[in-house]
Amino acid sequence: MAKIELLNITKRFGKFTALDNVNLEIKDNEFFVLFGPAGAGKTTLLNTVAGLVMPEEGLVKFNGEIMNKVDPSHRNVAMVFENYALYPNLTVYENIASPLRSPLYKKDDATIDKEVHRVAKILRIDHLVERLPSQLSNGQKQRVAIGRALVRNPNVFLMDEPIAHLDAKLRHHMRSELKEMQSSFNSTVIYVTHDFLEAVSLGDRIAIINEGKIVQVGTREEVYYTPCNEFVATLVGEPEINLVDGRLVVDNGKYYVEVMQKGYLMPLPENSGIIKKLVDSGITEYHLGFRPNNVKYTFQKQDGLLRGTVYSFESIGNKAVLIAKIGDQFLRMIAPNDLQVKLDQDVYVELPISKATFFNAQTTQFIGTSDEAAIYRLVQEQLSKGVQ
Amino acid sequence: MSKLIIKNLYKRYENKGKKKTDKNEFAVNNLSLECEDGEFIAILGPSGCGKTTTLRMIAGLEDITAGDIYIGDTRINDLHPKDRNIGLAFEDYALYPPLTVYDNIAFNLKAKGVPADEIKRRVHEIAPLLKVEDLLDKMPVSLSGGQKQRVNIARAIVRRPGILLLDEPLSHLDGKMRQALRTEIKRLHNEIKCTTVYVTHDQLEAMSLADRMAIMNLGVLQQFGTPMEVYDDPANEFVAGFIGEPPMNILKTTIIKHENDFYFTFENSELRILCPRRYYDLLKDGMQVKMGVRPTDIYVGGPDSKGTPVKVAVFEDLCAERRIGVRVGEELVMMITEDETRYRQGEQIKLEVNGEKTHLFDLETGNRIRPKK
Amino acid sequence: MRRKRMINNAVKNGLLALYAIFALFPLFWMVLISFKSDAQMFNTTFIFDPTLENYEAVLLRTDYFKYFFDSVIVSVIAVLVSVLAGVPAAYALARYNFKKKEDLAFTILSFRFAPEILVVLPLFMIYQKIGLYDTYFGLIWVYQLITMPLLIWVIRGYFEDISVEIEHAAMVDGYTWWQVFLKRLLPLIKPGLVSASLLAFIFAWNNFTFPLMLSGTKVETITVASLKYIASDTVHYGQMAVAATVSALPAVIFALCIQKHLVRGLSFGAVKG
Repeated sequence: MAKIELLNITKRFGKFTALDNVNLEIKDNEFFVLFGPAGAGKTTLLNTVAGLVMPEEGLVKFNGEIMNKVDPSHRNVAMVFENYALYPNLTVYENIASPLRSPLYKKDDATIDKEVHRVAKILRIDHLVERLPSQLSNGQKQRVAIGRALVRNPNVFLMDEPIAHLDAKLRHHMRSELKEMQSSFNSTVIYVTHDFLEAVSLGDRIAIINEGKIVQVGTREEVYYTPCNEFVATLVGEPEINLVDGRLVVDNGKYYVEVMQKGYLMPLPENSGIIKKLVDSGITEYHLGFRPNNVKYTFQKQDGLLRGTVYSFESIGNKAVLIAKIGDQFLRMIAPNDLQVKLDQDVYVELPISKATFFNAQTTQFIGTSDEAAIYRLVQEQLSKGVQ
Repeated sequence: MSKLIIKNLYKRYENKGKKKTDKNEFAVNNLSLECEDGEFIAILGPSGCGKTTTLRMIAGLEDITAGDIYIGDTRINDLHPKDRNIGLAFEDYALYPPLTVYDNIAFNLKAKGVPADEIKRRVHEIAPLLKVEDLLDKMPVSLSGGQKQRVNIARAIVRRPGILLLDEPLSHLDGKMRQALRTEIKRLHNEIKCTTVYVTHDQLEAMSLADRMAIMNLGVLQQFGTPMEVYDDPANEFVAGFIGEPPMNILKTTIIKHENDFYFTFENSELRILCPRRYYDLLKDGMQVKMGVRPTDIYVGGPDSKGTPVKVAVFEDLCAERRIGVRVGEELVMMITEDETRYRQGEQIKLEVNGEKTHLFDLETGNRIRPKK
Repeated sequence: MRRKRMINNAVKNGLLALYAIFALFPLFWMVLISFKSDAQMFNTTFIFDPTLENYEAVLLRTDYFKYFFDSVIVSVIAVLVSVLAGVPAAYALARYNFKKKEDLAFTILSFRFAPEILVVLPLFMIYQKIGLYDTYFGLIWVYQLITMPLLIWVIRGYFEDISVEIEHAAMVDGYTWWQVFLKRLLPLIKPGLVSASLLAFIFAWNNFTFPLMLSGTKVETITVASLKYIASDTVHYGQMAVAATVSALPAVIFALCIQKHLVRGLSFGAVKG
């Protein structure tokens, strides 16, 4: 168990800057997710914590102690790799036992036996311990890799996309199982992923990283409801958030945004702080973000709604995504799986202005949301339930 | 644009599985399918289920062991691939690197000796459909994966094939690009209405694109129907477990009779579910079957609920939806809720199951047990 | 169907047998000769009075065993040196990125390009000047040209096939780099190491040009020594055959031992290399 601090970490590979002045503080016993697209520097950051990568600048601290010059074996970290990195010539048992046989963490055979069977049981692989890695399915291999990490009490668990290699179905299942065994880790965890569902499901806090820079750090509610810019907004959430152009219009002392079509005005909610924020921002051109599950639609003609055509209708498991084409813009929304719909038929869409997120159209930075009170309530509720 | 009929198709690889007793002797085993003119068919299954072999037999890249394939009224078994009037796009893009996008798309037409201005007209007609009109002068190396696949598909449809065959066209692409191109393929089909056979292992692709989908496993067709038929009314345990995300929860259960009512009970679990009445004719005390129920058909009961108390094993907040997992014996049973209540691991909830939406499967064969009408 | 298959098999086996005779006949012939007396050497083929005279003459009455052990010493130590230096070199080529890496790798391989006879003349001059001529060290040194490239190229492929994460995992498990290398990597490259070493040994053992030119009296390998049986007046074919037969034994025995692993061991790494 350890608090981990990264101070001004910069890492270059030749001319390429993989990490650019990264600062992070990971709390003791926290499940911390590093989330970002491929090539963002997530794995490099993880390897920096493990000591497998030496940063050019900056400090790595465990519990306040500078670790830069400590080699990986002495940092007491446990790691799970994307490609499992099992020793192909050793049985599952020996793979899991490996850390306990190393000179540093050496235990007697009885203890090893007990520990290996303990973690094998947690991971439901106790019937496989005599097998070689080549005789296992991918899901099982991944459990063994986790087992090798779980078998000792490290300062921190480092997990590098541990389930990214699994097929979709197994990935979802393993994600749920990882969530279930979260309490078994009983230590700080840093988890790297490019999958939004893994990030929000598992992370106590999520750091969003792009091109070697930390973009935002926050709880799932913070990154989902108050993304610091459009990049975060589009990365978090599936289907992707709808971003539409908007313009502030003041008429008779009332504030509106004009979106999608000329003359389509939506009144801004008066009592939410958003009007002041928009005015204070000093600009009148925005991008408005609407989550697909908040956008409403109907096939009955209705005044005051945006008229468009059905561009696509795609089932995504237990629900479906309906894409409407309005002018030359597209809006994604969630629909029931069994909706009867024809492509290109008319659809009428209502944008929920009370749940809009506003971004600066030039800088793409977050300005505010029209739903702050509700979000505040959500965050409070989450806090009262205790960190999970 | 033509009808595609597959009749009793078999495929056996000579050198594979030398043992005569090998069950998977046939890569494709007695497959019959009929695709209507202009229909979009998905062949869906896990790797090794025979879906790609089937596609390759339609394309003529693989010999047919037995059975017939008709395109329109023509039996094509013995036709050379180039004479079958098909368009084919593979998962790896296989563009000709030294040619521009335009020449790549035009390649087949040139080979057939179509006049130059006709080629030009057709390429420019197809390009906007796949949004590659701005890429025509580029070389394949400078394209992204998604763009390459668009060009690849454009190349397949520019010859106006009777049947368009797509083999996992999206599987090389990353998440966002995949979704975008999925939508484009759907639009494209709506535009050109070409009979399409689409091979994939991704059930979401099949569900979202296909008019009807054929689910295969171990060379055998499991079910052929519209996405909603397959989702709501699966033919067997395999189909039930394959379709839907998260998949259907399928549990081994023992039926017990208690005061004229039947209940599902589970090993090492307190959970008891009242069997729906429509099954009563089929049930016996002590009978063992498998029960399947979709994650959307399980609920957390309110305070006065008569549901079984269980402990939350997993609570996942996925922002737009929440998933709750409970352990029933060894199995993790997942449910989906859209309400905003949060649960802690270990918290007690009351589990309610919509009995009407449960499915029963034979313990041995996995076949669906249906109530008599 | 069945009949056709049987005929097929018969033809296949016939062709294989033909090839086996073609390939093995020289060996067989050599062994035959080694049992013939000089008198019968030219006038008989298969029917003769077998004699151990040649063996006696070569093995007991000459320094044959000295030559044999010279060969053993030079070849074994040459391979050992190659393993000790080549395995780390292969590791470096597989794992680290440094300037001119591929050029260096190519240079090492290029040692095998030039005909030996081409390099041996200048080497002869140099060796004489610096006192390496006719020493064990000198031969072991020059044998590196034969054994080292082979080892490095095979082992490099093996290292490249082991994902770097396996090393990382072991380090994180609490092993120092040396322990990782010895306990985790070495077992994984063992098949390649064994087959490449044995092949390198066979190549070194069979080498003729280098010992012919770079040694002569104090150190003399068996390949060169076999020439001694060509006297100025007559050629003792029988004795030469004995010398050749005995000297071929280690290579043949090794090749038989490892033949199953040899092809696989050499090609496993080569897939990527």
